[in-house]
Amino acid sequence: MEGTVFRAPETARLVAMVDDRPAEKVFRVDRSIYTDPEAFEAEIKNIFEGSWIFACHESQVAKPGDYFALDAGRQPVVIWRQPDGDIKGFINACSHRAAILMPYKQGNAKTITCRFHGWTYGSDGGKCLRIKGEDTGYDGAFDRSQYNMKQVPRIGNYRGFVFVSLSADVPALEDFLGATKAWIDLMADQSTEGLEVVPGASSYTIGGNWKMQAENGVDGYHVSTVHRVFASTMSARQSRDNRSGMAQTEAGRIVANVPTASYDLGNGHMAIRALHTTPEVRPIWERRDELKARLPAGKVDWILNHGRNLMLFPNVLLMDNPSTQIRVMKPVAPDRTEVTVYCVAPKGESKQARFARLRKFEDFYLTAGMATSDDVAALEDTYAGSHARYARWNEMVRGWDQTVKGADAEAKKAGFVPVTSNPNWDHEILFHGFYRHWARLIGKTNGTNGKTNGA
Amino acid sequence: MARNDTLHREVEDLIYREATLLDRKKWEEWLDLYAEDAVYWVPAWRSEEETTDDPDTQLNLIYLRNRGGLEDRVFRIESRDSYASVPLDRTVHLVGNVVVGDANGETVAATANCIVHTYGKKGGMTRASLYDYALRRIGGALKIAKKKITFIDDRLEGPIDVYHL
Repeated sequence: MEGTVFRAPETARLVAMVDDRPAEKVFRVDRSIYTDPEAFEAEIKNIFEGSWIFACHESQVAKPGDYFALDAGRQPVVIWRQPDGDIKGFINACSHRAAILMPYKQGNAKTITCRFHGWTYGSDGGKCLRIKGEDTGYDGAFDRSQYNMKQVPRIGNYRGFVFVSLSADVPALEDFLGATKAWIDLMADQSTEGLEVVPGASSYTIGGNWKMQAENGVDGYHVSTVHRVFASTMSARQSRDNRSGMAQTEAGRIVANVPTASYDLGNGHMAIRALHTTPEVRPIWERRDELKARLPAGKVDWILNHGRNLMLFPNVLLMDNPSTQIRVMKPVAPDRTEVTVYCVAPKGESKQARFARLRKFEDFYLTAGMATSDDVAALEDTYAGSHARYARWNEMVRGWDQTVKGADAEAKKAGFVPVTSNPNWDHEILFHGFYRHWARLIGKTNGTNGKTNGA
Repeated sequence: MARNDTLHREVEDLIYREATLLDRKKWEEWLDLYAEDAVYWVPAWRSEEETTDDPDTQLNLIYLRNRGGLEDRVFRIESRDSYASVPLDRTVHLVGNVVVGDANGETVAATANCIVHTYGKKGGMTRASLYDYALRRIGGALKIAKKKITFIDDRLEGPIDVYHL
């Protein structure tokens, strides 16, 4: 019987799915970029198992022995807090027969004993401490040190946000993060005690491609159509309940004409901002004086007044709008994306602020809520539509002539330098950076490190 | 102690009626089953084995503090402007295992199980929940004062609204 012949993905065909001709003002992606199985396999290998991805927030592994399990691409990984407080990442599979080691997604263990054949590992370096029947089956020649848990090649922590890479051939984490560091700072700086992930999470499956969720998180253009109903629902609630203070939900950005912008942040990262019409209903508002005393005015203005969505390539969205969110994507198949959302909040905020933050989160950000559910339906429809090969291209040209190279005035205040800025969140130029970086990683050959800086 | 058959039947009627009104999309009559200050609560899973249990400090899938929260949901469904609610999924609730606690003044507790079969764009899907009710007698009739729904899925397949639960 003939074996299966592995044929490498046709890299050139995949890279050509991004039709990038700036001189002719053409930027479009082939809709099969979302549906093509070879494109998906190349993404798993070169992006999710071949470059930096977000793993968890450090508050999810707060104490020695705390662990957090995830999949990097398809490979099981566990982030494990060391006895000395360091954070390390390991392949979450037994060195013996590959059974998953950690019984839960999150937990605490000083040592872990595989439930299959009883091999035991310590949190301290993932060392293989004991194997069942060591002295009876190996003629005394067993070298346990050969069977320690395999450490991931790269792990890094930027201000509490933990990233891993299953390839050692990547730039330093801070170089990879680049301009997004300033955006992460705008969250991390909200409390001198740091941030914490609030107990409880929600996972859901989108019957669509992960890149659609990546686009959607920074697509300001859909907001006034898809979320118009959220705004009208909130307006009906307000006239019924006449709520005050933080109990109100701001929907001004959805329907009002407020200042907005979109940014290509380099290395595939993208972001949008929109001015809050009623910043005083935001949970962070109670901290305004403390923030002003501690941080530069430009930063404080951004924290208090600009709603922000950051798409950190390739798998995490950080959102700070009515509530604050970490949204992690896991690609399962071209047509299946598993998303997990966490509410992240400044430590030490008042009970009322935490309560308001949670309720705003539940109103909007969940697939059982009244906005994300509409996004999920739209993305599933978009995936179905992407099979329309007879109508092949998604154009991404909106706002082309208004594109500014580098920073706009607001970016300068927050201290970051994007590749391009656009003066509206309904412009589509930020997606160029995402797909250029995608094409570079998919087309990557040995020796390049996947670092790109956009156009 | 003999079971209070009248109360038992009254509680069952209310629980079955809620399921029927949801499946038949009689939203206004459904809302009318709830007390004005009714709490509607669907906890999130905080781990594989435990749900969240303190809405003040933890995340939920849905946590509505009065009937107005349910009115928001109905407003959105009826607006025909919600992507996730057009076209509307068809549902069939099958409620069983109704266990009625003792009456305590004007309130009575009850638990039930519910299997919901849904049909929509993605075909048929079956989901399940545990119900915990607190019912209160208002103007002679039993109303829902609190409903806690423990939705056993912790990875939700597509959008979820009150009629899927």
